[in-house]
Amino acid sequence: METLAPPIASTARVVSVSKQTSIPVYLYATVLASISIMVGLVWDISWHTSIGRDGLLSPPHLAIYFGGVLAGIFSGIRVLKISFFGTQEEQQESIKFWGVFRGSLGALFCIWGAFAMLTSAPFDDWWHNTYGLDVTILSPPHTVLLLGMITIQFGAIVTVLSVKNRMVSQGVYDDQYKKILGICFALASGFVLTMLFTIASEYLGRHDMHKTTFYIVSSLIFPLLLVAFSRAAPGKWGASSAALVYTLFLALMVWILPLFSAEPLLGPVLNPITNFQAFEFPLLLLIPAVGIDLITQKYSEKNSWLLSLVYAGVFLLVFITVQWPFGDFLMSESARNWFFGTESWYFGSSPDWEYRYAYADWMVSNGTDLLKGLAIALLIGFISSRVSIRWSQWMQNVMR
Amino acid sequence: MKKLLFNVLLLGLTVLIQSHIGSPGVTLEGEAGPYALTVVVNSPDVIPGTASVDVYITDNTVQEVKLSCLYWFAGAEGTPRADMALPVPGEIGHFSGEIWLMSPGSASLKIEVTGERGNGEILLPVMAVSTAQKTMEASLGWTLAGLGLFLVILMITIIGLSSGDSLVKPGQVTSAKTKRKRWVGATVGFVLLSLILWGGNAWWNSWANDYQRYMYKPFTATSSVRVEDQKQVLKFEVDSVKLNQLYLTRSLNYLIPDHGKIMHMFLVRAGELDVFAHLHPQRLDSAHFETIIPPLPPGDYHVFTDVSRLSGFSETIADTVTIPEPDPNLTDNWNDSLLMDTDDTYYITDPVISGSTEVLMPGGDIVVCGSPGQRIMLADSSFVTLEQAEEGEFKVGQLYHLTLAVQDETGEPATLAPYLGMMGHAVVFKEDGSVYIHLHPVGSYSMASQETMQARLTQESGRIDWNKLPKPSVFRDSIDQTIAALNSLPAQKRDSALLVGMNHPSLDDPDHPDHSIVRFPYTFPTEGKYRIYVQMKRNGRILNGAFDVEVES
Repeated sequence: METLAPPIASTARVVSVSKQTSIPVYLYATVLASISIMVGLVWDISWHTSIGRDGLLSPPHLAIYFGGVLAGIFSGIRVLKISFFGTQEEQQESIKFWGVFRGSLGALFCIWGAFAMLTSAPFDDWWHNTYGLDVTILSPPHTVLLLGMITIQFGAIVTVLSVKNRMVSQGVYDDQYKKILGICFALASGFVLTMLFTIASEYLGRHDMHKTTFYIVSSLIFPLLLVAFSRAAPGKWGASSAALVYTLFLALMVWILPLFSAEPLLGPVLNPITNFQAFEFPLLLLIPAVGIDLITQKYSEKNSWLLSLVYAGVFLLVFITVQWPFGDFLMSESARNWFFGTESWYFGSSPDWEYRYAYADWMVSNGTDLLKGLAIALLIGFISSRVSIRWSQWMQNVMR
Repeated sequence: MKKLLFNVLLLGLTVLIQSHIGSPGVTLEGEAGPYALTVVVNSPDVIPGTASVDVYITDNTVQEVKLSCLYWFAGAEGTPRADMALPVPGEIGHFSGEIWLMSPGSASLKIEVTGERGNGEILLPVMAVSTAQKTMEASLGWTLAGLGLFLVILMITIIGLSSGDSLVKPGQVTSAKTKRKRWVGATVGFVLLSLILWGGNAWWNSWANDYQRYMYKPFTATSSVRVEDQKQVLKFEVDSVKLNQLYLTRSLNYLIPDHGKIMHMFLVRAGELDVFAHLHPQRLDSAHFETIIPPLPPGDYHVFTDVSRLSGFSETIADTVTIPEPDPNLTDNWNDSLLMDTDDTYYITDPVISGSTEVLMPGGDIVVCGSPGQRIMLADSSFVTLEQAEEGEFKVGQLYHLTLAVQDETGEPATLAPYLGMMGHAVVFKEDGSVYIHLHPVGSYSMASQETMQARLTQESGRIDWNKLPKPSVFRDSIDQTIAALNSLPAQKRDSALLVGMNHPSLDDPDHPDHSIVRFPYTFPTEGKYRIYVQMKRNGRILNGAFDVEVES
């Protein structure tokens, strides 16, 4: 009879996680929402650089709204369904809040993001009427929108992780799930990385690559994400796969957008272009990301503080070693082609600007300024890595 | 005390919109090639923003009307493709569209018309500046506050659940420890969100302050009257503030003459609007102007002055002044030849009577060409009739062609001569001083701005090279010499010099064979009682008249 015991136990386990053995459609929806938002955002920036004039329902805006609506509706329905018509298993996997509702944390993030995006619309409209039409990425209503978008994207990550963590705890996490969830995580985390890069892009452009600000901002945001991704991902290459998604996505946008014609519709036009102007060529984040993954693989159990210093140091050293000379390359004649897209130039800026392809004195840090700046970058990277390690612990444990 | 109250009142009313006060729209009556048209532009009060454009064309063979916006500093090369103005359904000859004004500064609307009789285009200067700081309507405010509160509560919930419940394995019961973690998380979340909201509020405020800083602020001025050599002299000192933007565009060093004068000054006695003077002060330096004023009846006066720049930027600088009871000597010694400029003129008539719907004017109501009108007699015994609105009353926001029919003493069409290059001038004042505008038969824009823009776009291309602008002192001298040379010409020659390049569509109107007709396109901005001073010239004499109209909402 004893031989029967394992199959019974096995059956019981399968029954208790029966809903879990298939990845919920909802997870794909949130990941798709994250992609749609990012495509829309980069397209919108290109639209503003090339055409200038847009309306509430411009194609890039529709892509962004689609992402928001998709995540918001799927999450909203899921919360309502689990709250009022959920099975016992579904209810056990969810969190109860406000006395009546039940839902997953990922769904709550997505709902919050959708509402924030919704709120930003009338706020932004009023803002335009009060302070003028858009001329900047970072304004208070745009920040509400960006917060909404990034929260949805974060919701996608949390959803993937909680499904993965439940599967691990229930012992059903096999290679097939590992692969699917690995891809979903790479996409979700890669798009969060792209989003943060986009928000900070005013400090991370080609002309900033020889300035300490560039490395300080990079040390603030990239280790924060990459270390956590590296440690919490379903696979061994969490940081690298996120950086790969970031690199491929931005490169594809650089290659695809200029294939379409565009004409500036707002005066004054100082640079009369005929095609969509590309957004930025991706930073060489992939290389420090591989470094971070290797550290995670070899030393993840070491003291967190020491580890943070190693993460931050390796990130900064590798990144500056590749990105600084790459900045020179991007300024050179060799980068002025479809692949690197450095000829892209805002229609309202003079194309004859003497520093269009050169670093002016004030764009370059050197001497003690450089050393001081890099020391600050290292310190910030250290703090951000330490926070990230703590965050990754949470990511490894989020269940619902 | 009375003076103080008056000034406080005026301060509240000086909401300036560039080259006029209180009339946000700009109108143009002109010809784009073979097509006669009227254009009404309503500029946005926030830049960047969009201006609505209405084009009215009588020719029904017109196929296409296109609009584009040109900036003085960017030139023709920097102008994007034109936008179509679309026909308004049910209104033949009415085309409507919008233009985007993205940068502050001196811009121009180009209207291109295509039809069976070929192509034509015309420029209308538009001053693109932010003039209003808006507040949020209560309904939107409450909606946003509601959504904001919901977002804050939900985020605090999420942070609480993240630190507690989300870490509990499926099926496990929430322990007291988890609950405690939840509350700690929620508290931390609350503190964090409060900090974020506080930071966001500070950011918003700094944005609003920046907007205020770069908002268009009219120049202010100080006017004073003194007696010198048995004459009253009015000194007009423009407060030379440091401009936060449009430093060169609005620079007083680059004033150019409009109708041959560096400055047009209008004095009107406050409240009664019964005394009117159109003077042309001389420039002492870039910010000081002086003119001799006739012995006008004492009282508080509105002072409105119009100036234009090399950039085409035109604006009104307003002030108030108290003119004292003139010394009997001054009155006795006065004769009009003492006026500083040959084109200076003044006029004293009946007051606008507040609260009365009846308009008291010299002359009576008559019918002109089938339309009822008000008629007045001018100083040389000729008659001017203002045609009344078709529906009996003038309405707010509707475009009118204020039509004046002029007959000589015998009732025949009067032969008018140009005054300052135009067949007529009209100055519209609202009783409370909140509206002031100087109109011409061609519209309400500055002719000098239009000429500047035309020259800029036809003679050169590309952006303005700021470094190549002439030095202020050199530029001022050359302008002063040009004006002096113009003033030294005999009246007829001067008039014909100023007339160059201007057409006068109003005079030979086939619908009015019995009169000379002068028309002023205008849209009344608000309801209330208005006084319209009209100015014309006949047999070498400047003639002034006044009409009162009641504008209904």
